[in-house]
Amino acid sequence: MTNSPRPPGNPIPRLEHHTLERYESVWLGIAAVLAVLLFASTLASFISGTYPALRGEGGHHISGVTNGRLDPRNIAATPFAQPGLRENPDGSLEAFVVAKAFAFEPAVLRVPAGRPVTFHITSVDVMHGYEVQGTNINVSVIPGQVASFTTTFRQPGTHTTLCNEYCGIGHHNMINRVVVEAPQAP
Amino acid sequence: MTTTPLPAPLRRADTPPVVYPIRQAPPIADAAYLASLKKVAQFYVVTAFLALFIGVMIGPLQALNYGGINLYDHPVLKALLKSYYQGLSLHGVLNALVFTQFFISGWLLYLPVRDLGARINMRFAWFTYLLMTAGLLMAAVPLLLNRSTLLYTFYPPMEGDALFYIGAAVMVGSSLLVAGQVVLTWWNWKKANPGKVTPLVAFMSVATWMMWSVASLGLILEMLGMLIPWSLGLYRGVDPLLSKTLFWWTGHAIVYFWVLPAYISWYAFIPRQAGGRTVSEPLTRLVFVLFLLNSTPVGIHHQYADPNISNLWKTIHMFLTFLIAVPSLLTAFSVTASLEDAARARGGRGLFGWITRLPWGNAIFSAQVLAMISFILGGAGGIVNANASFSPVVHNTAWIPGHFHITVGTATTLTFMGVALWFIPHLTGKRVPSMKVASVAVWTWFVGMMLFALGMHWEGLLGVTRRAQISATAQDIYQAANLAVPKALTAASGIILFVSAVLYFSVLFRMLLSRRMDNAEVTTPIPYSEAISPAGENLAAASPLVRATEPLLAYWVLAFLLVLLMYGPVLARLLSNLQLVPGWRLY
Repeated sequence: MTNSPRPPGNPIPRLEHHTLERYESVWLGIAAVLAVLLFASTLASFISGTYPALRGEGGHHISGVTNGRLDPRNIAATPFAQPGLRENPDGSLEAFVVAKAFAFEPAVLRVPAGRPVTFHITSVDVMHGYEVQGTNINVSVIPGQVASFTTTFRQPGTHTTLCNEYCGIGHHNMINRVVVEAPQAP
Repeated sequence: MTTTPLPAPLRRADTPPVVYPIRQAPPIADAAYLASLKKVAQFYVVTAFLALFIGVMIGPLQALNYGGINLYDHPVLKALLKSYYQGLSLHGVLNALVFTQFFISGWLLYLPVRDLGARINMRFAWFTYLLMTAGLLMAAVPLLLNRSTLLYTFYPPMEGDALFYIGAAVMVGSSLLVAGQVVLTWWNWKKANPGKVTPLVAFMSVATWMMWSVASLGLILEMLGMLIPWSLGLYRGVDPLLSKTLFWWTGHAIVYFWVLPAYISWYAFIPRQAGGRTVSEPLTRLVFVLFLLNSTPVGIHHQYADPNISNLWKTIHMFLTFLIAVPSLLTAFSVTASLEDAARARGGRGLFGWITRLPWGNAIFSAQVLAMISFILGGAGGIVNANASFSPVVHNTAWIPGHFHITVGTATTLTFMGVALWFIPHLTGKRVPSMKVASVAVWTWFVGMMLFALGMHWEGLLGVTRRAQISATAQDIYQAANLAVPKALTAASGIILFVSAVLYFSVLFRMLLSRRMDNAEVTTPIPYSEAISPAGENLAAASPLVRATEPLLAYWVLAFLLVLLMYGPVLARLLSNLQLVPGWRLY
């Protein structure tokens, strides 16, 4: 707990103010540059699109959804009443997913490989999380709010979808599937 | 930084060495007042460790769960805890919220008051302690009855009893009374000592309390404005997104409220405990000002996965989060330099060889330095979490509890465990019964937490979710072979940490139950360190950095304005699109 005496006759130069101040300034510079570089590289990854960014406002064109919000007691008035994949007249694909304790609907979502799919997800009770294993799809599902993002599954296969936000006693059993199907021959 | 001994000390000829005596706390003549001050600090600290004891005893159950072993169906346990989620709620609330807040309230009330030699209103101090404890007990009732199994984030619309929200608000609110008392004490000292530089420990404490008062507003608003009236049935429903945003206003800054009190020990006391000197008081003051300004307006990086918050604000908060790494990196520099200084004073040699000369067998020292090592890894992981591109890979996976067990669970907790080994003797005049057992306890804590973190980060990368009873799923998706190693690591860590906790608490309880032996003012004084670059005592003669950091009140106002600026537009948009939903009890 106290300073131990230096060995006699063997003076060791100790750290001193001026040297330290120089090192400090250099280190502060490195730290600041590090923070800025980190930020710049993340911005670059936004542009290259390494992850499916959420829309700032979910499902804005969907009937029954205003400013990304809907009434979770009345999803009958929205496309969430029939969860699943739907193909629009212009050929775009939209997937409607409903989270409720303790399952996602549809229990098995089938999507084609290689085509962009826009997901819209909402909850009718408490908070849930939509995590598709083996992808970087990871979204909070909040009652009253619609989460929207667009993604493309490149390879056919089956992914497990997990709820990753505590939603009650059956939370750990809220496990369903996304099946990515090989594109059909025209 | 010199690695080879030179014949004469390096010192510039034009700057004659100024010898500063090592600081001692200003003497307090009134023995009854000092005894009462020590007693209230002791009550805070002991209450904190009682909460930690219960919380930590539940911990191994969680670790075993992530090892694939479900003990929650055991009949004995079933009688105590209704579910895994009730156990997890208790573990999180007691360790992360109760332990930290009580310890910090005692630690950061006592230190600045002693540092300034001030006389505070002890009635008010005791009232605050009793109020905080009353809040804790109120919240504990529904928690123990499984009527508020909400985990420590209590996201609505999962609903608990009103008593839980009221108790939690009273508990958190009373910490603001401590903050107020400390800031006022400092302000009175300033008025009585015009032109003086605030001593370092008081400066750091006041800055921490100011930061917390800005940070805690989000939680207070959430509680008073939404959750309490909602749980009392006064509102039709609750807006979960608005509520979550207010929660993370506080919820991220709270980690700095947990870690800054540890930094205070790392800066001010560890150098002395290692036999060295604090590096630079001016730089330390800069670090705390940066934390005061920048800790709070970063919370939205917890909400990258949330819909209906604009990506622009998410990105701004991300940038601010990266900036807050800067003062932590400065801390890493300063604290390591002070350790090197200590080791060389003890005859340490070589580029890295000096490390062996540090007092590793002293649990007070080793606990805190192991906590720092843990924080280097935890801090690096934190930068990953704060990164919007990496976040979807790790968000709400087992990676996250892996992360915060080596930050708050080790950097903070292990530091406090080490600090308690001198702080409790200092407050009570009692002695640590066995430094050896304490030493084994802190080393095993470190090893256990490292294994836990390794296992959990690993499981998280493989897609295992957090806060899930994965040992009891109906579908066997967690039985894959590539999970076997991380699951085994996590389970083993639970056992190691259990042993560590038993050893630590045996030392702590034996100490608390022993008789008073010493006049602690003489035998265990506050371990102030000498500084290589002191701040000085007179403002007029102090360096520009010291003068620039002294007006803390101005920085406090600035911190508040920054938060308004960074949260105002986000909250305004949420409020204008309020979407109330009904509550649910699904536990």
